[in-house]
Amino acid sequence: MTSLVDREPRRRPWKLPFRPRTILIHVVAWTVGLAWLLPFIGVAVVSVRPLSETALGWWNPSPFHLTFDNFISAWNNPGCPLSLGLRDSFFVALPATIIPMLVGAFAGYGFARFRTRTRDYIFLSVVLFMAVPQMMVAVPVYNLMIALGLISNLLSLILVHSAWGIPWIILFMRNFFRTLPEEIEEAARVDGASDFKIFYKIVLPMALPAMAAVVVFQFMWVWNDFFFAQVLVQKSDWFLSTQCVPRLSGQLAHPYDLLSAGAILTMIVPVALYLVLQRFYIRGLIGWTIKG
Amino acid sequence: MSSGGADYVPSKTSGRLIAIIVALLIVTNVITAVGVYYAAAPKAAVVPVQVIGPWAGDAIKNPSSEWGKFKPVLDKFTNDTGIPYVYTPTRQEDLSPTLPIAFQAGQSPADLIFMPSATIKQWAAKNWVTDLTGTIGPSSYQAGALDPLTASGHIWGGAYTGKVKPGFWYNTTFFQANSWSAPTTWQGFFSLLGSIKNSTGNPPLMAGDGVGWPLSDVVEHFIETYGGASMHKALANRSLSWTDPSVKSIFQNYLVPTLTNGFWTAPTTWDNPGVTLWWDGTNPLYFMGSWITGMVPNPSALGVFPLPGGVANQGIVFAADYFFVPKFGAHQDLAKRLAQYLASEPAQELQVKQGGHVATAANVPTTAYPTVDRNVANLLSGKTVLSDLDDTIGNPFQGVFWSQLQSLWANPGTWQTVLTNIQTAAANQP
Amino acid sequence: MNRREGGPRPRLLPSIPGAGWILRRLRSQATFVAFILPATIFLIVLVIYPVVATLTLGFVGADGQFTGLDNFATVIGSKQTVNADCLQTGPPCGTLINNLIWIGLHLPLTMFMGLFLAMLLQRVRGAAIVKSMIFLGMVTPLIVIGTVLKFILEAPIGLVPAFFGSIGIKGLAVNWLTSNPSTLLFGLIMGTVWSWTGFSMIVYSAGLTTIPKDYFEAARVDGASEWQVFRKITWPLLKPVTLVIVTMTVLWELKLFDIVIGATNQQGGLGGAADVLALQMYRFFYVQDYNHAAVVATLLTIFTFVVSISLFRELLNLPRHKRRLLRARAKPAEVGTDSPQATIAPTGDSP
Repeated sequence: MTSLVDREPRRRPWKLPFRPRTILIHVVAWTVGLAWLLPFIGVAVVSVRPLSETALGWWNPSPFHLTFDNFISAWNNPGCPLSLGLRDSFFVALPATIIPMLVGAFAGYGFARFRTRTRDYIFLSVVLFMAVPQMMVAVPVYNLMIALGLISNLLSLILVHSAWGIPWIILFMRNFFRTLPEEIEEAARVDGASDFKIFYKIVLPMALPAMAAVVVFQFMWVWNDFFFAQVLVQKSDWFLSTQCVPRLSGQLAHPYDLLSAGAILTMIVPVALYLVLQRFYIRGLIGWTIKG
Repeated sequence: MSSGGADYVPSKTSGRLIAIIVALLIVTNVITAVGVYYAAAPKAAVVPVQVIGPWAGDAIKNPSSEWGKFKPVLDKFTNDTGIPYVYTPTRQEDLSPTLPIAFQAGQSPADLIFMPSATIKQWAAKNWVTDLTGTIGPSSYQAGALDPLTASGHIWGGAYTGKVKPGFWYNTTFFQANSWSAPTTWQGFFSLLGSIKNSTGNPPLMAGDGVGWPLSDVVEHFIETYGGASMHKALANRSLSWTDPSVKSIFQNYLVPTLTNGFWTAPTTWDNPGVTLWWDGTNPLYFMGSWITGMVPNPSALGVFPLPGGVANQGIVFAADYFFVPKFGAHQDLAKRLAQYLASEPAQELQVKQGGHVATAANVPTTAYPTVDRNVANLLSGKTVLSDLDDTIGNPFQGVFWSQLQSLWANPGTWQTVLTNIQTAAANQP
Repeated sequence: MNRREGGPRPRLLPSIPGAGWILRRLRSQATFVAFILPATIFLIVLVIYPVVATLTLGFVGADGQFTGLDNFATVIGSKQTVNADCLQTGPPCGTLINNLIWIGLHLPLTMFMGLFLAMLLQRVRGAAIVKSMIFLGMVTPLIVIGTVLKFILEAPIGLVPAFFGSIGIKGLAVNWLTSNPSTLLFGLIMGTVWSWTGFSMIVYSAGLTTIPKDYFEAARVDGASEWQVFRKITWPLLKPVTLVIVTMTVLWELKLFDIVIGATNQQGGLGGAADVLALQMYRFFYVQDYNHAAVVATLLTIFTFVVSISLFRELLNLPRHKRRLLRARAKPAEVGTDSPQATIAPTGDSP
């Protein structure tokens, strides 16, 4: 295999606008991308056609009727209406994003700026909790929420998701704060500003892009959760949208049409958020120290 | 603000940004709080009774859907009593994990819930079920209808209508066109399967899918035909092992050969396209319950035969739908009134009129049934009526049973292992 | 990185130097505590206490009597967890084995496909769009992914059985989810490969941008082949990124729940062929067998800790701070060791 650079100096008698290899790479990349999208395309097609046309394969072109009945049925489904499911998902995801963001940023700043003998050990243990699976806390959290009378109350989910998001937000914000130059804060401190004042007057405004990343990531993660919701929410009026998706199936029937519409409605929110705020999402995923 | 920072000029917008964040926090939480309060507050002065049942469908667009057939019954209740209802269809598969979680927390998602009888009795033992003794009683029912719900003299729930699972259904028009007829001996059945397969090139027997119940119904039919009603009962009360030679011989001699000869389709989504492929003759034999009478375009062309041959005292499964009143429902009184109504003759008569159901209440006139269902009722004659085997034993056995049968259909060669695994689950069932 | 590690300086230094030092130290301590207090309360009540409670639940019986390792023996000894028969008869293999099979297939596939795509897309116009297409599976709720897999794998609505039908492989032109335990298990594994590859692709892409271009140029000037460039430059420099990807992927594989339950049922489908540990825990949970549920949860946690410990050591290097700074002098490695830090959090935790 010779490299591109090696071949470069040799002049060809004729010239293509693109090198064949470049074309090949583009074809392969775009084919792979489209193939990856195919399952979603299938679901989308099933969702906008009557089931009778798609039951034997959604790719069959005829007959083809466009309909939004599936979405209306899923929206009003008596077993688990997506209208309520989406509302409840918002009710949980908004506060469960904002609360841990503030609490986590606060603690992250503490870990980034204040040195105590125990700091690193506390920090290490906080970070270790990120590896704990949700199943590890399910039983005690469930019993705790029974004791607090919060089963089937969205507040329980808000609290649990807030607590669950805090470790990674602390780690993320700490790493971010450590990239900020300390001189500014020092200067403000010399001028007599208190630590808290410095935090919210100087540090927090500088941290807004980082917090945007936290918001996007945490919101999606809460929205996409299924396990905690299954454990803590048991009444159909308060089911979240992710809980509604499997509940669209009937006892005896397997309604692909409803399922597809419910799947699209549930995924549309995180997907739209991703497409709009992709920059911040990727930053949340990659972290702050890789630039580019 | 200070001006002491060497190279930092405090942003004038910083205060505003903080305000935005705080405002965002307050607004989102207020919205949530108001929303939660508003949605939780009672909307109407008249309290509805909340019902969870397995029947789904769009009652308005499709009155022949399962829910479309049940809705008139609940509507009549509201008309008669002035009590409104809220009906939520949920699969029992989804309820069996979530209801215990809710009950343990002292909550119930509804006032009256349909569940299999064994589950109701299990939950009654955990003190989650309201005793309905005195509310409903055996006198308004056909003999034995409440037996699956009775424990130590208490009645823990009510029986609603049910379905019979009589045998293999076929399209008579299609059969006549091919000059096939219902077999009368096992040999005849087996060679019929062979000739259908030769003629159509497809497996003759449609295997339904779903979560596994169509396969368990088939297996029960083999057991109650070639092992008799007594074997079915013994397996249901777990006094007989699934690895007993008598059970094994039914699998070895009857069921497994149909599988190894390729007479079954791969499990196919049972209603769509299952029913379609069966009715158009692609896979012309389908073992199903009597609800299928309401699912074909031309019910008068519907034929059915049980497995031929078999022992003297055969059984037939009659699977009733059972309901109970959870202890934690908000409106026990309303739920009890609804339970009384569902156990009554008028309610069940209204249900069986829609087709596909058989009443458990006493005194429902045969004239209330559509013709095809009256014929189904005739199939019951001379046979012992049994309750559904896996419904009787309940979960977690039921889940294992279904999934083991799915793997039997996939790998018939492993039938001995499958039986061992089923027996393990039966032995472990509390 | 000219960060000063000193605590905050109070403006007015008290006149006695010793007391001032103590005061300053105390004040710094107090402020630190104040900053981390809200987070600590949340974590103690809703994470730490539940974890400890679950740990203790695993060692007692339903009556609260200490039973030692009995619960663990029951769970590990049960066929649901480890089914030795699967060596002869194929799946179902039990939850634990299934999780391991998942790791064995899913990890290398997603990792190398992600790396391949990341390198390929470096030279593609519209790479951002292609990346988004592939990444869609990562932002979709996992329960929806489970549902989407039904649309791919079930016959006759699914594309996969239809594809195999059209090329004449009858054995695979079946309903993958219900007709065979092997197709169920491997179908779901492939489905998770589909949904997760976006992760390693995005992280590798970010890792690739941190390698200075002149490294490659210099190597090519020296006449190195593409393969040599990959072996000697790209791959070693991506090592820290690879560590992150491996850890996050294994954590995700261990916590599988939504996809399996969404595509099958609480039993893990067909004979339990796709059953996984998290699902087993959920089944124990809803029949109120909290002790066995706790055992499965504890096993899961042990696995996740074993997997993540090397990553944490690498990326936190606490308290061996100075050694790390020395090591970090090699520039690319520095980028690498830092990069994982934030990556770990979200994906590692997401259900």
